[in-house]
Amino acid sequence: MNQKRKLIVGGIVIAGALTYMIYAGVTQSAVYFVTPAELRAAPVPGKAYRLGGMVVPGSLKWEPRSLDLSFTLSDGTATVPVRHKGTPPDLFGEGRGAVLEGSWTADGYFKATLIMAKHSEEYKAPHDQSEAGYRELLKTLRGEGR
Amino acid sequence: MKRLWRWLIPLAAVPVLVLLAYGFRLSPRDIPSPLVGRPAPGFALATLEGAPLELATHRGKVVVLNFWASWCYPACYEEAPVLERNWRGYRERGVVVVGVDVQDKREAALKFVGDFGLTFPVAQDLKGTVSVDYGVYGVPETFFLDRQGRIRVKHVGAVTDDVFRTTVDRLLAEAASP
Amino acid sequence: MTADLGYGMTLIALGLAVYGGVAAGAGARTGRLALIESAQHAALGVFVLVTSCFALLTYAFLTFDFSVRYVATNTNLGTPFYYRITGVWGALEGSIILWSWMLALYTIILIVRHRVGARELYPWALATMLGILAFFLLVMTVAAPPFQRQAPVPADGRGLNPLLEDTGMITHPVALYLGFTGFTVPFAFAMAALITGRIGDTWLVLTRRWTIVAWYFLSLGLLIGGWWSYHVLGWGGYWAWDPVENAAFMPWLTGTAFLHSVMIQERRRMLRLWNISLVILTFGLTLFGTFLTRSGVIASVHAFTQGSIGILFLGFLALVLLTALGLVAWRWETFRSEGELDSVVSRESAFLLNNVLLVAAAFTVFFGTVFPLLSEAVRGVKVSVGAPFFNQVNIPLFLSLVFLMGVGPLIAWRRASLDNLKRNFLWPVALGIAAAAAAFALGVRSLLAALTCATTVFVAATIAVDFTRATRARLRVGESLLPAMGGLLLRHNRRYGGFVVHLGILIIALGVMGSHAWSVQTETTLHRGETAELAGYRFRFDGLTAVEESNHFKVVGALTVSNGRVLGVLRPAKKFYPQEQAPIAYVDYRLGLREDLYLVLGDFARDGSQATIKLQVNRLVSWIWIGGVVLTLGALLAILPERHKSV
Repeated sequence: MNQKRKLIVGGIVIAGALTYMIYAGVTQSAVYFVTPAELRAAPVPGKAYRLGGMVVPGSLKWEPRSLDLSFTLSDGTATVPVRHKGTPPDLFGEGRGAVLEGSWTADGYFKATLIMAKHSEEYKAPHDQSEAGYRELLKTLRGEGR
Repeated sequence: MKRLWRWLIPLAAVPVLVLLAYGFRLSPRDIPSPLVGRPAPGFALATLEGAPLELATHRGKVVVLNFWASWCYPACYEEAPVLERNWRGYRERGVVVVGVDVQDKREAALKFVGDFGLTFPVAQDLKGTVSVDYGVYGVPETFFLDRQGRIRVKHVGAVTDDVFRTTVDRLLAEAASP
Repeated sequence: MTADLGYGMTLIALGLAVYGGVAAGAGARTGRLALIESAQHAALGVFVLVTSCFALLTYAFLTFDFSVRYVATNTNLGTPFYYRITGVWGALEGSIILWSWMLALYTIILIVRHRVGARELYPWALATMLGILAFFLLVMTVAAPPFQRQAPVPADGRGLNPLLEDTGMITHPVALYLGFTGFTVPFAFAMAALITGRIGDTWLVLTRRWTIVAWYFLSLGLLIGGWWSYHVLGWGGYWAWDPVENAAFMPWLTGTAFLHSVMIQERRRMLRLWNISLVILTFGLTLFGTFLTRSGVIASVHAFTQGSIGILFLGFLALVLLTALGLVAWRWETFRSEGELDSVVSRESAFLLNNVLLVAAAFTVFFGTVFPLLSEAVRGVKVSVGAPFFNQVNIPLFLSLVFLMGVGPLIAWRRASLDNLKRNFLWPVALGIAAAAAAFALGVRSLLAALTCATTVFVAATIAVDFTRATRARLRVGESLLPAMGGLLLRHNRRYGGFVVHLGILIIALGVMGSHAWSVQTETTLHRGETAELAGYRFRFDGLTAVEESNHFKVVGALTVSNGRVLGVLRPAKKFYPQEQAPIAYVDYRLGLREDLYLVLGDFARDGSQATIKLQVNRLVSWIWIGGVVLTLGALLAILPERHKSV
């Protein structure tokens, strides 16, 4: 029975260690979902959030040389100014939904470290430009290309 | 006593199953449109037959504005009969269904309209400006406008009979004050 | 017509499967051979019908038959021939057909292999397989029918998801599903063992090869998935701890545990309850994985659309778990262990610890995956759990497992004496410490990297110790070197196959460590002719070109790479598919043993004058693929039929 007791004790120790590791892991890395309204209600600077909303048409500013991206995210009730460094994913655009990961800064804007855009199976979007626009793009690039 | 303890083993699976079942109750968080409650952007387009189609002429009626395309498969194919059916049912009651065909070829659009026997006015948004004005992210999207020309509901994905009737009935019941 | 024919065949197959399951069960109960034979015929009928359905669907794909809804949704007139064949399993309904077909195939193989050798267990195993097959056919008929008619027939289909137009995506689901479905057979035999009460070694010996085969395919599927993620998705990573990835990883973890604990039951007749539970858990996790991918319960990048299918899968999962665990409870008394753990310092102990760690890792992955659901259910708070959690908890577990890889094969059974420990581990431990010191001397400051180096060298040394000792023994008997080594590998292929697999894991571990610790990246916008620098490489942007293909057009950026001398031109691109919401990024890369160059085209000016490029230099990532190849070779070696019984 000594054998069995050793095994049980060992098992409890391992289970305990695992529980602690998981608890620590979750509390440190769980990221909270908020809408712009929820974030505006109680913003905590430095805390990691996932912010979901719609990119307000006309608010998108992209500076290719400095890689500065800024826009406003809205949920119909409140808006949040967002800044990001780097190109956004292809699905991202004005008037479209996006989910951002980042934190609220003391300067009053949301600093996004990651931009995720929703991809739906049934639901399809029109092209960025009309078909005429695509042909145009094709022509100009062909003219310049090697 | 000992014999009964063992039956706890299968019960151990139950909490996990319950948790997963709970997952079905949660729907993915919808992203609301900032346009709801605002006046609907006006437009002046041409129908597939070439007649002019202006949104302003329908002020005073409940407008069901449906953005679609012939390449939008399968959702637009599912909702086309729904729209036609309800158009015929509601047209005498001050409701108009307007279709806006997006990024499409005229022949394909005409075939679609013919196949489904659509009789409500359908216009083509050749330049894509109307889609942008309405923040159309994908097709199909349907906007329900009240008699004052305000966007009241934005429905994403195929429209069902239930959605159509509930929304239109509600908007019809409102007083037609200017 | 096609749709109706296909639907009819599915329905008949379902009926046959149900009949076969019942007949096999009845035959098992009453001992009437005629019933069992009838069930076998039914199984054959199901296989023929499902194969025909598959062929019919493929034919519909090849002939652009848009009257079938599934075809219209997944191809269009521009889809290339090759992808029209592989696109058959590109979406939900097709994936269920593929799964069903594999189950049917495995059932036939089970019949051929075991109908003579395992008279007690075989009928119940057959009944279980047919029952599970019937469920998937039910899903095919009710929830995800591939043969739905589409009227009116559209002029053109929607098209295949462009991300699936890739060789990795063709082999990945096939390998993965062969793995998942492969674990059904050990489960079926475990059920048979529980029902008949023969929970000894018979069922274990019968399923040994099945388990390795399933494990091999699952490993292959996971590795290909990682490779696909790396070279297609454009984020420069190979594993994101996405719920769907986790869903495939969990059964791999428990399956690996099972592969090891099987050896303890064989040698010492211990852990019989543990083994049966592990098989049930592994199979349950394959069902859970399939449920997760298809129900939409947990949001994921990969998830298919939702519908009634989620409820069906959850219901079936509940049925399987409650039945299997109920059987375990019923047979509780028979699980008295015949062997006992003699000492903590023993091979049994090492294997047991290995199992505990693997199950702990599986639990961690499970917990992290369902935590968002749990959080919302209990606290009403929506959270997401990402890579940091999984890495933080799993890395110590995995590192310990790697260490055990070195201990387990060499340490003595029952009780390891001090002498035994010294003989086997002195050199490897010394070399491991030396490796850590060397790493430190070379500038490595990350504790994790140093530990990884130490552990991998330790394990490699133990393998070398074993191999040299065994070879020397043969040389002493008079064999010459190469035949001695070859003979070892073939005669004791299970043991040495295992060693090769371990070697593969070591190489993968080093690759993972390198990519995490030493990769660098940057993003920059370049005018034509401008150069960016990263990690000793220079990238000059030469301009953009546009190319038109059959079903898309693409914009290609050209960047000349040099590190002193010109290495070549990389062409990251963006593909525009008319039916897709946004362009798809097409990564270009230059693989190398030490590092990969990895380029993604971001934003670009419409006149082609400037482009924003994401640059990455990823270190040692190729080692992951190399390690993967080694791992699969080891598995293949282990699968070979044995010449001599060995451990």
